Amino acid sequence: MNEKDQYKNRIELLQGTLDMLILQTLQWGPQHGYGIVQALRLQSGDVLQVETGSLYPALHRLERQSWVQSEWKQSESKQKARYYRITAKGKKQLATDLGRWERIVEAIGSVMYVKPGESES
Amino acid sequence: MKWFSSFGFQRRNRELQEEIDAHLQMAIADRVARGETAEAARQAAVREFGNIPLVQDVTRQMWGGGWFEQIGRDVRYALRQLRKSPGFTITATAMLAVAICANSTVFSWIDGTMLRPIPGARDTDDLVSLQRGERNFSPTPPFSYLDYRDLREQNHTFTGILAYHHDWITLTGGALPERAYIANVSANYFDVLGIKPVLGRFFLPEEESRPVPNVVLGYSLWKTRYAADPAIVGKSIEIARHPVTVIGVAPEGVVGAMPGIREDLWVTLDPLGTDVWRMTHRSGGAVWLNVIGRLRPGVSRGQAAQDLDTVMHNIVAAFPDDHLGDNRITLDPMWRSPFGANGYMAATLPILLAFAAVVLLLTSANVATLTLVRFVSRRRELAIRQSLGANRIQLVRQMVLEGVVLSIVAGAVALVLTSWTSKTFAWFFPANSNPLILNGSMDHKVVIGIAVSSLLAGMLCGALPAWRSAHAPAIEVLKAESASISGGSCNRKLLSGLVVAQIALSLPLLVCSGLFLRTLRNLAGANPGFEQDHILTSSVGLNIAGYSHDEEQVIRHKILDRVSALPGVKVASLTDWIPMTLGHKGDDAYPEGYVPHPHESLQVYHAEVAPRYFESLHIPILEGREFTPDDDEKAPRVLIVDQTAARRYWPGQDPLGKKLRIWGGLFTVVGVARNSTHIFVNESPEPIVYMSFFQVGYETIVQVKTEGNPVDLAPAVENAIHEIDTRLPVFDVRPMRESTQMASSFAVVQSALAGMFALIGLVLAVTGIYGVVAYRTQMRTHEIGVRMALGASRVDVLRLVLLQGLWLTGIGMALGLAFALGLTRFIARLLYGIGANDPVTVVSVVMLLGAMSLLACYFPAHRAMRRNPVTAIREL
Repeated sequence: MNEKDQYKNRIELLQGTLDMLILQTLQWGPQHGYGIVQALRLQSGDVLQVETGSLYPALHRLERQSWVQSEWKQSESKQKARYYRITAKGKKQLATDLGRWERIVEAIGSVMYVKPGESES
Repeated sequence: MKWFSSFGFQRRNRELQEEIDAHLQMAIADRVARGETAEAARQAAVREFGNIPLVQDVTRQMWGGGWFEQIGRDVRYALRQLRKSPGFTITATAMLAVAICANSTVFSWIDGTMLRPIPGARDTDDLVSLQRGERNFSPTPPFSYLDYRDLREQNHTFTGILAYHHDWITLTGGALPERAYIANVSANYFDVLGIKPVLGRFFLPEEESRPVPNVVLGYSLWKTRYAADPAIVGKSIEIARHPVTVIGVAPEGVVGAMPGIREDLWVTLDPLGTDVWRMTHRSGGAVWLNVIGRLRPGVSRGQAAQDLDTVMHNIVAAFPDDHLGDNRITLDPMWRSPFGANGYMAATLPILLAFAAVVLLLTSANVATLTLVRFVSRRRELAIRQSLGANRIQLVRQMVLEGVVLSIVAGAVALVLTSWTSKTFAWFFPANSNPLILNGSMDHKVVIGIAVSSLLAGMLCGALPAWRSAHAPAIEVLKAESASISGGSCNRKLLSGLVVAQIALSLPLLVCSGLFLRTLRNLAGANPGFEQDHILTSSVGLNIAGYSHDEEQVIRHKILDRVSALPGVKVASLTDWIPMTLGHKGDDAYPEGYVPHPHESLQVYHAEVAPRYFESLHIPILEGREFTPDDDEKAPRVLIVDQTAARRYWPGQDPLGKKLRIWGGLFTVVGVARNSTHIFVNESPEPIVYMSFFQVGYETIVQVKTEGNPVDLAPAVENAIHEIDTRLPVFDVRPMRESTQMASSFAVVQSALAGMFALIGLVLAVTGIYGVVAYRTQMRTHEIGVRMALGASRVDVLRLVLLQGLWLTGIGMALGLAFALGLTRFIARLLYGIGANDPVTVVSVVMLLGAMSLLACYFPAHRAMRRNPVTAIREL
């Protein structure tokens, strides 16, 4: 697999799950865009690299759906930044997303790990 | 574009920018903390972040109402592009504005006449005008009061049926006598129309047929003559020297029930008790009412006509002697009611609107050509935007928007223009004896019409080229430095198609306008059967000023004597009708010994004329004699018939001495006059009978044959009449030529507009083909240089370019010809003295268009021929 294909796969993996990942990250407290990217990268062991071109549209969409709220605050390093905070509605959504995610993982897992003989019984 | 900031987009944009800046700052800070240099950290952070404008763009799409801001951006972009090429922008806007204005002007005329047949009335769509007997282009009032009352009371399909009759009257009693148009109306007149008074009340049912001298004033008469007196109700005013009581005032804008005619005041059918005869008879002079009905909800015109026919059938069965001839009832919606102006409007204006629509189509095609050429020259810009991630829909939207912006501006210009041109309709109608109030109106319907047509035009001239241009493969365009890729063969085909369309559309316009112009010339040159030069006519309001019958007769003789004695007067006579002024009098006549065919109309035109009438108009008396001063009230009633009447009633016999029964009286034929025109030059001849003025004359029109210019004699004639009695109202003093222009006013409207439209079409088609041939030749400069270098002669080059243009012209003209031949059928009945496919007109139009196209192709061809092949080859 060359680099371009790797990149492509990463994007596809994130699709549909980015909202969930963002909401999950915000569970730990309000965070700005840069912070979310860093948090996801660290927590995934450098596997998940969120594109800004996906992140910011997602954040603005989540805010429009009232799953997150934003406010301008000073960071520890005196940098003024926009912080996003998860709302009650967002938490509910996260629970739904997580439930669905688990079902998908389970479903995909049962397809992928099925043993040849089992399907006939 | 300041207006978008108010929606908070700018604030959100700023915040997004700050958010991204903060992101970068933090990324840089982290990298610096990890030991990178400031510059390297900045570069890496920016690279890592990616395409900042793109991120902003996709993020903005997440905002609610983002499309609005996108459109705003696209509009701003479109405006910037249009500003960059002011030549194109101004030309295209001007052309579209003119074309839209052509449509909206004609539509405003339709709106002011056909769509608003009865100003102030409620739901005019439910109103129908009733016609009895043969359908006729300019009918006379068809019903007697008793017939009308039976129809009103015995039908099952109308919520109400009104009747009216109008004429001039003189308002006396004030400082100056004033002529006004008065209507005798049924008591339910305003009820059926759905009009409420602004002051007082309207008529009561019990007042309808009884002599109750009450009057309702029109709003403008109330304002001008009675100074908008708020206490006018209950006061007495004088009409033709009779005192009448004002009972109410109609609302502003209400002008009565006949489309295009202004009524000033209203009285009941027999307010003075002087018309008992025509209130109690069913035929002859008692047939005097125009009738309009309001259909019950859910009833169709066909059902209503059937219902009325049944009632009418019973009436005819009960009174057969009063209803000879055709008695079938036909109903017309008010927009094409044969009574009033709308009959003429409906025959003319929709056709002109169709012409205007063709002009708009043509203009759109022309602007589309210009747009396409512009897009081709911008193809690199488009390709770059495409490769930067703009998708095709976005590009198309962008380009269509440019067309829409153009057309919106053009629509706004057209709106301003139309507010003026809508009022020019009245210009076409010369001064005449009818209280005409024909004009266009500028209301919301016209504004909507302008909006719709400008948007359609905008889409048309933006969408086609845009779709084509967005097709161009970006990579090739970016790679190709040569001009030889002129947007691909698709564009070339579209360009050719547009040129062909323009020629094909302009040809029928030219053919139709040619036919109309020749019709106008034929009408003007036609012999109406009487001499209308050197004739002055002036109306004397004897019958409307309140004189007794005997007084009238004495004054008439005096007028004739005095006017005859005036120097410069060759012949003086009296009449009560002027031919070719759209009006005529008609009554049923029963020729003795004549058996009418079933459903034959027995109505004849009639005119009451004094001795020497035929002499002054040079109408020869073919048999018998003209009227003499002895044909007065004491003498037996006599008639002169025209050839048509003689042939119809007494074929193969000598008409002299034959008798006709009119208004219950017997008239003896004493002469036969040659046929002459009654209303229109192109009418089918209708029988007319002339009666002696001093026996049955009603209105008084002095008709004078002058030696010199008739206008010069007008003051002298007026003076001579006023010397008899200064209170005599004298009006409509004008040369006969001027009055008879009324007969061709619709031909003038047609040919003037069609001519203008055709001229626009010709200019557009010729500039269109010029533009395309010039453009294509320019694109082929390199190729032509090569050809010339390889030995092609200048004539070869000329032929190459010319052939290309003429090929397009040829196809366009072939299509246009087919189109024109199909189209002229629709205008056939508006033509006179010329066939709808008149070969001379068609051939000259084809030659004109061909010659103009040849000229248009010649210039670019000539330019190409004169080029130096060496420089031409270098040019890429």
